[in-house]
Amino acid sequence: MMQGILIIPVLFPIIAGIAMIIIKPKAKVYSPWFIEGIVLLNSILVWTIMLTGMGRGDGAVLFKLTYDLSIYFRLDGAGMVFTGLVSFLWPLATLYAFEYMEHGEHIRSFFSLYTMTYGVTLGIAMAGNLVTLYMFYEMLTLVTFPLVLHDRTREARRASRMYLYYSIGGAACAFMGLVFVLVYGSTTDFTLGGVFGGGAQGVDHNILLAMYVLAFFGFGVKAAIVPVQKWLPAASVAPTPVTALLHAVAVVKSGAFAIIRLTYYSYGADFLRDTWAHYLTAAFVMITILYGSTMAVKEIHFKKRLAYSTISNVSYILLGVVMMSPAGLVAAFTHLVFHAFMKICSFFSAGAVMHRADRNYVYELDGLGYKMPITFACYTASGLALMGMPPFAGFISKWNIVQAALSEGGILGTCAIVILLYSALMTAIYMLSVTVRAFFPAKDTVLTANDGVSDPGWKMLVPLVIFVIVFTVMGIYAKPLIQFLEEIC
Amino acid sequence: MDFLRNLPFFSIMLAMFTGIISSAVNGRTARRLTLTMVTAVLVMSALTLSYTEQIGESVTYLMGHFPAPWGNEIRFGTLEAFLALYFSIIMLLSVLGGWSHVITDIEAGKENLFYVLIDMMMSSLLAMIYTNDLFTGYVFVEINTIAACGMIMIRQNGHGIVAAIRYMVMSLIGSGLFLIGISLLYDVTGHLLMVPAHNAIEQIVTDGIYYTPLLVIIVLISVGMAIKSGLYPFHSWIPETYGYATPTASAILSSLVSKGYIILLIKIFYRVIGFNIVISSHVLNALFAFGVIAMIMGSLHAIMQTDCRKMIAFSSVAQIGYIYMGIGLGTKAGMVAAVFHLLTHAATKSLLFISAVGLYEVSDGRTDYLGLRNAAYRNRVAGIAFSVGALSMVGFPMLSGFISKYLFATAALEKPHKMLITLVALIISTVLNAIYFLRQVVTIYSGRPGEAASTSHFIKEAIAESTFSNRFASIALILLNLFLGLFSEAVIDLISRGLNLFA
Amino acid sequence: MMNNNATLLIPIILPILCGILTGMFGKLRLRARYKGIAIAGMLAAEAVIVILALRIGRVFVVGSINSDIRILFRVDALSRLFGALVAFVWFLTGIYACEYLKKDRHFDSFFAFYLMTEGLIVALSVAGNMITFYMFFEMMTMLSFPMVMHDRTHEAIRAGLKYMFYSVAGALMSLVAIFMLTPYGYLGDFKAGGILDIEALTGHEQVLLVSALLMIVGLGTKAGMFPMHAWLPTAHPEAPAPASAVLSGVITKTGVIGIIRGVFYCIGPRLLAGTWVQHVWIILSLITVLMGSMMAYREPMFKKRLAYSTVSQVSYMMFGLSVMNSVAFTGAVSHIVFHSLIKTTLFLVAGAVIHQTGHTRVDELKAIGKEMPVSMICYTIVSLGLIGIPPLSGFVSKWYLASGALMSGTTPYSWLGPVILLVSALLTAGYLLPVTIRGFFPGVNYGVGTPNRAEPDAIMYLPMIVMAVMTLILGIYPGFITATIQLIAEGIF
Repeated sequence: MMQGILIIPVLFPIIAGIAMIIIKPKAKVYSPWFIEGIVLLNSILVWTIMLTGMGRGDGAVLFKLTYDLSIYFRLDGAGMVFTGLVSFLWPLATLYAFEYMEHGEHIRSFFSLYTMTYGVTLGIAMAGNLVTLYMFYEMLTLVTFPLVLHDRTREARRASRMYLYYSIGGAACAFMGLVFVLVYGSTTDFTLGGVFGGGAQGVDHNILLAMYVLAFFGFGVKAAIVPVQKWLPAASVAPTPVTALLHAVAVVKSGAFAIIRLTYYSYGADFLRDTWAHYLTAAFVMITILYGSTMAVKEIHFKKRLAYSTISNVSYILLGVVMMSPAGLVAAFTHLVFHAFMKICSFFSAGAVMHRADRNYVYELDGLGYKMPITFACYTASGLALMGMPPFAGFISKWNIVQAALSEGGILGTCAIVILLYSALMTAIYMLSVTVRAFFPAKDTVLTANDGVSDPGWKMLVPLVIFVIVFTVMGIYAKPLIQFLEEIC
Repeated sequence: MDFLRNLPFFSIMLAMFTGIISSAVNGRTARRLTLTMVTAVLVMSALTLSYTEQIGESVTYLMGHFPAPWGNEIRFGTLEAFLALYFSIIMLLSVLGGWSHVITDIEAGKENLFYVLIDMMMSSLLAMIYTNDLFTGYVFVEINTIAACGMIMIRQNGHGIVAAIRYMVMSLIGSGLFLIGISLLYDVTGHLLMVPAHNAIEQIVTDGIYYTPLLVIIVLISVGMAIKSGLYPFHSWIPETYGYATPTASAILSSLVSKGYIILLIKIFYRVIGFNIVISSHVLNALFAFGVIAMIMGSLHAIMQTDCRKMIAFSSVAQIGYIYMGIGLGTKAGMVAAVFHLLTHAATKSLLFISAVGLYEVSDGRTDYLGLRNAAYRNRVAGIAFSVGALSMVGFPMLSGFISKYLFATAALEKPHKMLITLVALIISTVLNAIYFLRQVVTIYSGRPGEAASTSHFIKEAIAESTFSNRFASIALILLNLFLGLFSEAVIDLISRGLNLFA
Repeated sequence: MMNNNATLLIPIILPILCGILTGMFGKLRLRARYKGIAIAGMLAAEAVIVILALRIGRVFVVGSINSDIRILFRVDALSRLFGALVAFVWFLTGIYACEYLKKDRHFDSFFAFYLMTEGLIVALSVAGNMITFYMFFEMMTMLSFPMVMHDRTHEAIRAGLKYMFYSVAGALMSLVAIFMLTPYGYLGDFKAGGILDIEALTGHEQVLLVSALLMIVGLGTKAGMFPMHAWLPTAHPEAPAPASAVLSGVITKTGVIGIIRGVFYCIGPRLLAGTWVQHVWIILSLITVLMGSMMAYREPMFKKRLAYSTVSQVSYMMFGLSVMNSVAFTGAVSHIVFHSLIKTTLFLVAGAVIHQTGHTRVDELKAIGKEMPVSMICYTIVSLGLIGIPPLSGFVSKWYLASGALMSGTTPYSWLGPVILLVSALLTAGYLLPVTIRGFFPGVNYGVGTPNRAEPDAIMYLPMIVMAVMTLILGIYPGFITATIQLIAEGIF
């Protein structure tokens, strides 16, 4: 099977990115259309592969590190979901980034790294075994941390260092889990149902479970679970295209995706169900949801608030995962996809506000809704969607999670539901209070500060509107996606 | 091709001979001689390797006309040949990398002495790898020590001399212990050649006599070598030594010298005492424990350093710890991991020292953490090389450090008792490594915003200073690292087979 | 069976569309007069369309989102009744509001939300299952709270947010019920008497009961039932009078409708009668009745007093529903209609008072009757109705409530309930009538010359008159309403 084609979408952006850094163009900066073209081309390639079914098959081996460790790509159902999502969002995010970065420094290296990240994320999405996933996971850290560092201010440096240390620590822990799967499982290839089918011989199950927990938290660093979540709010200092795409979509979703692969495709849900590892991870996931939602309400820095919201929402995905059932997996994927759109819309709106009006704090946003109506309308829509109001997509994904929780039953199920609803209430508060400020400024606020502010240009608005349309339509017309997901699981 | 059997002997002799000649010629000629010699050794080792691969067993080579057990012997198999090849590559690249500094650091007129020392060191390394006789081993250990001391001291500044004296003291203590151990061994077995000595020991063990002396022998030899290779807590000489020597010297010392002693130790464990006996004496557990402690303490100390050179030196302490941890696991897999890490570390540490020098050159000679801001933009090759070295230390996939980590982890799984400690130590060590190495990488790539432009005024001068040879060496070492990272199976296989033949 | 009648969509979409248009194009410098006429016209048209389009039996299926969630509209007698009520009240209040807010800066934004809320309430009254109801219920919350914040003062904004917060919390509680009971068929189409799968429920009764209670308390938030009533007294004084009117008059009733749908059309009274849930419900509603009246009696701010009154009165309906027999049910639902008309009028009057004289406290209202006789006469009529004096409509609903309670057999509430209702009636008199009395008979100490006639515009007092008259008529001829409701009740019990 001509599976080699799978390698192209991964390597092409990476090579293009490296080339962009090495080769200095005449005009000092690459034309935005060139960059956008590369990204778009890659996305089209990916979607073509997926839609024409070229992707199905045994996968393509890139190279082998040792006899046991081979780097190989394979596009199975789960991979297709994440790949499709990433490749749909990247061109839009790059478009948004152009206007944002128009006046920034180091533009060339920024876009070079941004494009490389695309390739690396696809590498994670299309990884066919745990080793490949791990390798691209480490590479993701490497290519994204300079993006966090971009502004070179002291906070940026601190944040990037924190991100780096947490990520590497997490990867080291995940590596141990990987080694165990390698030695005691039959293979590191991703197989639905896990590779410990025959019951692992020669080792105490508890040790395997401990390694699972270690790997869970190791990969969980990127997914920002308590207690390794501190880097995410700190990383809000990065430019918005970085925080939005990376920390709402690529990085945190990679973390969640890695955990999905670890749980369902390496260790196997049946192996883990009802063990102490199951309960421990579920407990931390639920704590994270509570923590994220509550801190978001208290936080007054706009982007940091959204960062806490991300922490909480990614743990919704993980909540689906820790149900250890097919329904849970469907729910996890649903929220993975929907949340990506909703959160990226929120972050982009916030970014537009920061870019046009230079306001970073929530209390500075009074009355801006009238100057930037489209932006804030999109923001409100994303807020309602995140809250779980029908008919937006957020309701469907929450529904699925709850259904999965209910069929699990027991304390786990009940706690999950209560926590989800508490979080929904908190989401309503922290998202909509911004909307209220923007559109209903108190009578005595001075609004002259808002003069001269206007909606951003089309490069920023078009992605925003597209996202809103997507998560609205998906809320109503989710059936095809859900069916597809159910088939996978 | 029996002629090839002579090659190891030739290489040792050639190295010594070159040393003798170099003492009489001037610096430039000496340098050229050294480079030629090392290249020749490289070729010879390559040939030897292919020869041993072909015949698939190790060859014992008589030195002189007296057969065993009275005469002297050299023995070489796949592993020895490969190690010789590898070390000569590293030696070559280290010399190339630090060449311009040799000129500036050393008094004119004394340059040739430096190359003499290098030649001596090469010969003693080769001898330690190839020897099959204990006393010969000891002799060359001493030659190695003296050569190393000379190399440290040759810079003749205050730090250098203090460091050299410290090194001398510690090293001689180590040699002394080693000597006592060998004497006891001779006493107990009546042999100095390794294989007969081994037979005698086996006899002793089955007879059940001399139990305590045997234990003492093992301890003395281990401690002696441990001191000389810088295992915690005998590491105090390392930071000053590696830190203040001229770059070539630092590279050679950290990459090769300590490794030579470790190889000798492994050889004695396998060939003289017998690995099973060593395991049952529990000495390995002590080595394991100290190895783990070294891993963590070395890194912790490194984090606290502000001077880049000392930071890299402390990192060496940690890495030696890894190797001893691997040995201490007491399994074949552990030993393979240890030897592989030996190779990795040799390549990576040289890479780090050489590229770091490239960075200091363009930063007005400053070596402290802050002084190196934005250095990577001034010397691109050095920046990339340093980053690759750092990433390899952290264990990034595709680089050799990852394979090392992987081998250690899988080896640890075979030993449930030591497994947990090993894994935890690996994880903590990775994070600690990340902290100080990647901190440095970040610094060399970023200064204050907008600072890069302001330093442009001395960029042009600075770049001119960084030499071609330095860059060449850096790139070559990067490639070596990548080779180990990507094509490690061949190497691991080789090590495995070699270890089988070692005993 | 599936006669998808798209005409059902018109009364829903029309106001929403008009609302959006008002919001977007309101900035055009039209004379307020023209805007007012346009809006009034639209509201009138809506009223007519509602009556025409909401024929019993009409169905419109929008679609299914997944195997459990189906969005559909279906008209039954309850939908028609409530829909008509909404359209009617909205029309009258709308006309009033056009005049009241004539000079207001944010005229457009108010009407935008006003109209959109109407559409959503019509939607939720014709909702065909619980999930459709929930969806429009939530949307309605989101689009009605801006009306509370209309004045844009800090207190108004806080009040609006409090309303939103409580409502969302309550809606989420009912969502728990939806989640828990979906496996038992909770999301099926409404059917009088209940649709749950009883066999599947055996063994899981506690789940059912807890969910039911959550649903009742959750939806009861909108209805201002203890303990989730705190938003009501905060929101009403801050909101402009027309907003308070529809808030008390109609929006709180949506919570009641939700509970009716949930309890009587989904779960079914048979499953809840006699359980601890029923007891809790009765107790909560009675507490609210009493507490609301008492707080109203003590409250010096006029609009807040009326707000507490609403708290109390809506729990009359809750009490009637909780007793679970057809007579009490009739009383409850008729009180929905009657109280709407009454409370709306009361708030319109209060608004008129504030608009004309600026007085917000009750003790400032001496001689108000001389200044605004028409308004105060309307006020008096509907007050009497609220107290429950025949031949006004309030008496009818209270009668049904009391008799239903007495024959319900739920001791001790069967007699405790009517007692409390009686006490509350006395308190109602105590908090409503002093305004009238002091308004018309300010007492000898009131030494001002001839009070000025400060009657508001006819546009403002016409709706009041209409509703006061209706209160009287419905009191004398309640048959139309009660018959309809009794039919509904029969289907349920």
